[in-house]
Order: sequence, then structure tokens, then C-alpha cells
Amino acid sequence: MDSLASLIDGFGHVLSIQNLLWVVIGCFLGTAVGVMPGLGSSMAVALLLPVTFALEPTAALIMFSGIYFGGLFGDSTMAILLNTPGQASSIASTFEGYKMAQNGRAPQALATAAIGAFIGGMIASVVVTFLAPWLAEFSSQFGPAEFFALALFAFVATSSVVTDSAIKGLLALVLGLAIAVIGIDGVSGAPRFTLGSPLLFDGISIVTVTVGMLALGEVIYMGVIARKTDEGEMLRPKGRPWLSGKEFREALPAWLRGTAIGLPFGVIPAGGSEIPTFLAYGAEKKLDSRRPDPQFGTGAIRGLAAPEAAGNSTTGMAMGALLALGLPISATAAVILAAFRMFGLQPGPLLFVNRPDLVWALMASFFVAMIVLLAINLPFAMLWAKLLLIPKPYLYAGITMFCGLGIYASSSSIADLIVLLVIGVLAFLMRTFDYPLAPLIIGMVLGPLAEYSLRDAMQSADGDASVLVSSPIAIGLYVVLLLVLGLTIRAKLAGRAGARA
Amino acid sequence: MSSSFAPLGKVEDRRAPIHLLRELTMPIVLVAVIIYLVYGLVTMTVPGNAAFPGPRFFPLIIVIAMTILVILQTITAVRDWRSGDLVELGEDEDQRRQSGLVVEAGTSSRMDVPSLLWIIGSFLAFAVTLEILGWIIAAALLFWGVARGFGSRTPLKDLVIGLTVSSIAYIGFDMLLGLSLPSGILGWGF
Repeated sequence: MDSLASLIDGFGHVLSIQNLLWVVIGCFLGTAVGVMPGLGSSMAVALLLPVTFALEPTAALIMFSGIYFGGLFGDSTMAILLNTPGQASSIASTFEGYKMAQNGRAPQALATAAIGAFIGGMIASVVVTFLAPWLAEFSSQFGPAEFFALALFAFVATSSVVTDSAIKGLLALVLGLAIAVIGIDGVSGAPRFTLGSPLLFDGISIVTVTVGMLALGEVIYMGVIARKTDEGEMLRPKGRPWLSGKEFREALPAWLRGTAIGLPFGVIPAGGSEIPTFLAYGAEKKLDSRRPDPQFGTGAIRGLAAPEAAGNSTTGMAMGALLALGLPISATAAVILAAFRMFGLQPGPLLFVNRPDLVWALMASFFVAMIVLLAINLPFAMLWAKLLLIPKPYLYAGITMFCGLGIYASSSSIADLIVLLVIGVLAFLMRTFDYPLAPLIIGMVLGPLAEYSLRDAMQSADGDASVLVSSPIAIGLYVVLLLVLGLTIRAKLAGRAGARA
Repeated sequence: MSSSFAPLGKVEDRRAPIHLLRELTMPIVLVAVIIYLVYGLVTMTVPGNAAFPGPRFFPLIIVIAMTILVILQTITAVRDWRSGDLVELGEDEDQRRQSGLVVEAGTSSRMDVPSLLWIIGSFLAFAVTLEILGWIIAAALLFWGVARGFGSRTPLKDLVIGLTVSSIAYIGFDMLLGLSLPSGILGWGF
């Protein structure tokens, strides 16, 4: 197989001492940020984005994959020990995971989560290895009209499917699009919305927006609003940190089912792994109620195993969709897309042709990252949990300092620090009033693609808008969009209902 | 600590005008954005050779969409306010629905204005003084200010920890990774 040969080549790249070191550092950093209270993998990726500029692209992206998956491994620790999900995708893990911990099975719960994340991520990486080249091949037939349809797909799905209020989601989206149009117009060269200031000619940097939205805004929100909400006492894990054969056999089918549920969501821009984790949890719960001795509600190992595997398989697949189509399905994936852009790389079919070395090294690094993460999470989960003991004022003060460091180091500009603060305050307001942040980031990242492909398509047809729906692929994409919209809304309602009942 | 909460009405009184005003914060911000965009559209100098759709085309769509959405959101907010359905600050409806995960956040949490000022103020001060004071001192002050915003009341300890963290960051990122951080007044001697 072509893919296999390329992948082995990729392993050759990754297994150099230096690159291996970056994967391991990325895994450590990602897990550390993921474990810390209230910080999820999107924050990990945003915070560390500016720091990777000092590296060469392959090393930086390899480190990123470690951070990306590490954040997910870390998230579940919080959910299990504190009953506080780091981000939406680990809510489903709190239900049975925390109960297991309460019953004195915290180490087993942590092990279940780590192995689940490993299985989900591994299987997803295998699927991506074979699917991504095929997807890239397929998308190489895309013209401007198809790319516009794809961007529109991502816009509509992220802003209306995952959010409670479609109006708020769409408002966040158009705000992101508005930020993206600031600067020199790439087609005509006209400066737009710059007030004549050269500072704005390059537009507002994606890095500044991401760090402001996902990190600084979160700090302000935590300090001003959420700090007043009391958290539960942390449960100290005690006892054997491994699973008995019986427990393993019990959890195995749930891991596999969870993975299967998570995979398709990796290519659908429906906000990432929140929906599949709930679906996986709901499915296990339904299966459990048919057993003679239902265990849900008392710390069922399957109720934790399935969502963990589902979350990571979605995340793994998402990297495939990002690499092959340039389509980010969640805020975290959008940040990684931004990282590619910073290095002058555009994910999509051309990347497979132009930089196969980088693509395959990155894919190989997924596998390496999974193994490293399992190795540092399974035996040492209790050590990681110690990070939960950092006093909150110092934790958030440190994060704020890091935001400043990243932005100043990447631009050496005081103006960018002020922009960062303004965006942080905006993110704080959005969080406070329940406006989702993900659509803004997706809008900001995909806005230029949407605009230029729209104008490109229409200009080549002398301003005729019907060109947008003239190709079978574009029409197909719009049909799939409608279908997915219908299905995910239904699935989401069912998943929520299942989790609540 | 409770004295630092902003004096707001009781939770039951959800029809006080302040609730509507707060809910309209984002729409007001967005109206400002719309005005900025319209001003930019009107004053934009478009090169004569630009073919349709030109540089104004996409922003125009954004302005129209944003205007419609802001109007819809305002109507929704007013309607919710009239019927007393507005969600309290910090109350996450979504999370509340997931089992009893979040304990009545709305009643115990309020906008903590002094915290807000401390965090934003320290960051602003950091941005303005960074190149004069240098990274190590400015970042340590930022650390202290944010820690204070988070309720820490041990300034000396906070400053010492802040200095330690900022120095480690300086060593790690400036000296080892080669990112450029300003040395400021500490750099004069070197």
C-alpha cells in the first residue's frame, strides 16, 4: 500500500532524536494544561501556539500533535477527580467517572479513561492514514465554488448545531468574519477598515485572536464570574493504578463502540467531540439497562470507557479532515489550521503533493504521541493530579503572563498586546452572555477562504451567482449539509435526553 | 468577600431594567462594530479596475447579516425580559440541564467588579510598561495584579512567586528558545 510506505517514511522522520523530543515535550505540556482546572485542550493549543514559532515547521507541528492529544488525555483527570469537566467534551465522562472515584476506584477510572483515549486515538489514526490521502485526492477536484460550499458548511454547522441559540452562534460567526476582513484586500489591494493606519494593513493576527478568545478571555471570566462557584473536594486516588482482567474485558466492548461512534464526527464540522461523547454515553446506558444487573449510576466502567474513546477518535479523525480538506471541525482544530498558516502552509490536497514529508511525519507523530501519552498517563495519573493543587490565583496569573509572553514574542509589538486585551474583554463578554466562541474562531480562520473563493467563482462567471450551485460536487455538499444539520440536531437531542434520563 | 460583589437586585426580581440592559451589552457592542464597518465601507477607496464582486462585496454581506441578527437577538432579549425568563449572570443553562452538575451558580455568583478592574488594569499596565521595565519586572507585576484579582491577599509572596516565574520564563524562552523579550531597565548594566 502507498499509504503504508509513506507512513513508514514518516516514522523515519519522527523517530529522529530531536523530533521525538518535541513529541514528548508536546505530550507533557498538553497533559499538564489539560489536567489543570478549567483548562481544556483548546486553551493548551492556543497558549502554546506562539511559542512554537521558534521551531522549524515539522518540529512545531509534531509538537502540536502532542499538545493536541495531550490536552484530551488530561481533561478526563479533572472530570473524574473533581467532577468538573475541563471542556464540553469531557462532561459525559463526569457522570460515571466521578462515581467510580467516589467509590474508591479513582485509579481504575483514570486508567479506563487513559486506555479509552488511547484506543480511540489509535484506531482513528489508522483510519486517517488510509482515508486522508483518498480525501485529499477527492478534494483536488474542488474549485472555488466547492471550497465556498465547504466553508459555508463549516460556518452553518459550527454556529447553529452545537449552540443553544442559533442567533448567538451566528452572531459570533459574523463577528469572526468581520475581524477577518480587516486589512489589505488580497484581490484588489484596497485597504479595508484600517482607518488608514499601517498597523492594521496586515489585519488582526489569528494568533492574537485565538489567545485572546481562548486564554485571556477565559482568565477574566474565571476571575470575575466563575470563581464564585464552589468546586467539590478533590478525591485522592489510592490503590492499584491498573485494571484487572475482568475490568478490562468489561470495558473493551465499550471502548470499541465509543470509537466507532466517534469516528464519523471527525469529518463533520459539528463542533468536535461534545456530541459523540454524549451519544456514546447514551448508547452504553441503553445497553446497560438491558442487563440483568444494571450498573449505571453506581460508577459503571463502561459509562466512562465509551465517551473517552469516542472523544479521542473524533479528535484523531478531525486531524485527518484538517490535513486533507483544510476543514477545521472545532475551535481547537481551527487553531491548528492557524498554526499551519503561520508557517506558510495551507492544509488541503496541495499539502499532500507539495509537502508529503511533513504530512507523513505528522501522521506518524500521532501514533508516537498516543504511545507516549499512554506511557505518561497510565502509571502517573496520580502525579498529574497533583497539578490540581496549584492555588487558583497563581495558576491564572501564570496563564495571563504566558498570554503576554506569547503575543509579544511573536510580534514584538505593544499594539498587539492592546489588541489582545480588547479581544480578551470581548471574549469575556461573550462567555458571560452565553455567546459561543468556536464559531468566531472558525469564521476568522475560514473567512478569507470563503470570501476569495466566492469572489473568484463569481468573477470568473461575470458576477453570476448561479455558478455556486452549478457543479455536482457543490450541490452534493449542500445536500449533505442539510442532511447533517437534520441528523445532528436529532442526534444531539437524543444524546442529551439519554444523558439526562 | 461578599462586600465586593456588585450590588444587584435579588434573583427573583428578573424584570428590573438592569437585567435587560445587561443582556443588551453584546448587541450594543455589535452595533458599534456595524457602525465601524459601515463607516469603513463608505470611506473605502476601491481601485477603478476592480471587477465585480469587489472588495466591498463580502463585508457588505457581513454588515447586512449582522444587522438582521442583532435585531433578532434584541427582540428575543426584550421578549425574555418581559416574561421574566432572562438567564442570570454566570448561570449556564446548558450545564444546568446536565444533571445537578452546577450548583445554583446564578444565585451565588455575581460580576465581581474589583476583580475585573484588577485583571484588566494589570494587563494594560503590563502592556504599557513592558518595554521600559523589561520583561522580568513587568511580568512579575502582572502576575501580582492578576493574583490579587483572583482574591490573593499576600502581595509580598505573590511578587516573589511572580518574579520567580517571570525569570524562569525569561531564561527558558529568551535565552534557550531564542524568542525576544525586552530586558528593559535590568538590561542597562549589560
